[in-house]
Amino acid sequence: MILTDVLGSRVLNSEGDLLGRVADARFVLDQPPGQLLAGARLQGLIVSPHSAGSFMGYERNDVTRPWPIAQILKWWHRGSFLVLWEDIEIMGPETVRLREGFTAYHPGLQGAGPGQAPQR
Amino acid sequence: MKRLLGVALGILTAIGGFVDIGDLVTNAVVGSRFGLSLIWVVGVGVVGICLFANMSGRVAAVSGRATFEVIRERLGPRAGLANLGASFFINLMTVTAEIGGIALALQLVTSIHHLLWIPVGAFAVWLVIWRVRFKIMENVAGLLGLCLVVFGVALFLLQPDWGQLAGQAMAPAVPQTESAAVYWFYAIALFGAAMTPYEVFFFSSGAVEEGWKVKDLVQSRINVLAGFPLGGLLSVAIAGCAAVVLLPAGIEVTSLSQIVLPVAEAGGKLALALALIGILAATFGAALETTLSSGYTLAQFFGWSWGKFRRPVRAARFHLSMIICLVVAIGVLATGADPILITEYSVVFSAVALPLTYLPILIVANDPQYMGKHVNSRAVNLAANVYLVIILVASLAAIPLLIITGAGA
Repeated sequence: MILTDVLGSRVLNSEGDLLGRVADARFVLDQPPGQLLAGARLQGLIVSPHSAGSFMGYERNDVTRPWPIAQILKWWHRGSFLVLWEDIEIMGPETVRLREGFTAYHPGLQGAGPGQAPQR
Repeated sequence: MKRLLGVALGILTAIGGFVDIGDLVTNAVVGSRFGLSLIWVVGVGVVGICLFANMSGRVAAVSGRATFEVIRERLGPRAGLANLGASFFINLMTVTAEIGGIALALQLVTSIHHLLWIPVGAFAVWLVIWRVRFKIMENVAGLLGLCLVVFGVALFLLQPDWGQLAGQAMAPAVPQTESAAVYWFYAIALFGAAMTPYEVFFFSSGAVEEGWKVKDLVQSRINVLAGFPLGGLLSVAIAGCAAVVLLPAGIEVTSLSQIVLPVAEAGGKLALALALIGILAATFGAALETTLSSGYTLAQFFGWSWGKFRRPVRAARFHLSMIICLVVAIGVLATGADPILITEYSVVFSAVALPLTYLPILIVANDPQYMGKHVNSRAVNLAANVYLVIILVASLAAIPLLIITGAGA
């Protein structure tokens, strides 16, 4: 499976309700050093209820310019959340099903690192 | 002193390099049909290209990477592909038009049919891209392109009724012989010609080729802010010549010989020779820039190594893709398609593609991770937003107007 197969997939909760689509995948570079970068580990998926399009870089909380493009893109992806790899039950080709009682994290990034303040 | 010379040279090449076949043809056509009543669009276009070229030059100088590389990395493959798809198609059309322009100019000089000159022109373009150093290539084409100043001189020699010309320019109105739809169609074509997408890609990739740093920002800003408006004045002179000679005579521009007709009438053989050198240099220079832009955007999207600062063997796919683009251009022109017509379509389609080109540039020029403290100022963002609205309107209106007016017929 390659990333393109996952991006845009429908995301369901354990009851089968549609939560949104996969807009992005988030990786953490914390593995042993490779040729160019440290090895990447899949932290989780970004689920967006309204659009599977790119965040265009506006997933970082401190990027708010230029008005109104930043605001439009943030609004476009309102209600999106990060689910960790551990909370994913099935990652199929068409749909992603989440485990019961999964945690939805805030998708924003603080500076260069991932932000993980619980959202709901 | 050396720095001053560098600035002067930069401005001069920016002036000479501003005009390409799209500007030549569109300005002459517009001048011959509307006088100077559409000339305000050149002003709007020049301010726009200054704004976005300056932005993309700044991205390249600060981040050390071409703008499109940053777009691909920051906005992701899908947004990058939308941008690439739109601008690459326009680019290829522009390459075709420029090579056609070289061939037409050579036909005027030699009386040998332009179809025979097409492979020669394309080969020469390839040879220069393969062999000549970036800086020399830029400066020679730009300086020879300055011969187009002869259009400005010709306008004075023609001793036009300045009051009437100023009246057309200051109080623009749709001429009685033309419909409003045709007027706005040509407004969009002129706007597209001034803001052709290849210019920003070439500008930022060129900045990487020349190794610009933050300290070069002032010089690059002067080059753009002085060179492009003066280049825009050349466009106005071309339109002015057409307005003075061709409009009263009822001549519609369908060939290059009609574009240079006013210059020949005003200044005789010598002026004509200069105009032809200028047109040849301008189209050849633009053919180099558009061909390189095709290679740059493809290589930057797919992550191939690119650049004339590398030997061709170190950037093989970059060079190969440019050769394929040139072959495609030859193939299209070999069908006997009229280069002037291709040019007219290319400027309209470039207006269609503009939002996909310029919105991502605005986004990355605001990204603090790449730009640090050199992100766009509020004033620049405000102006860019105004331009995005204009660009969007022009883009949406272009195709309907193309159909309604039968391509301005």
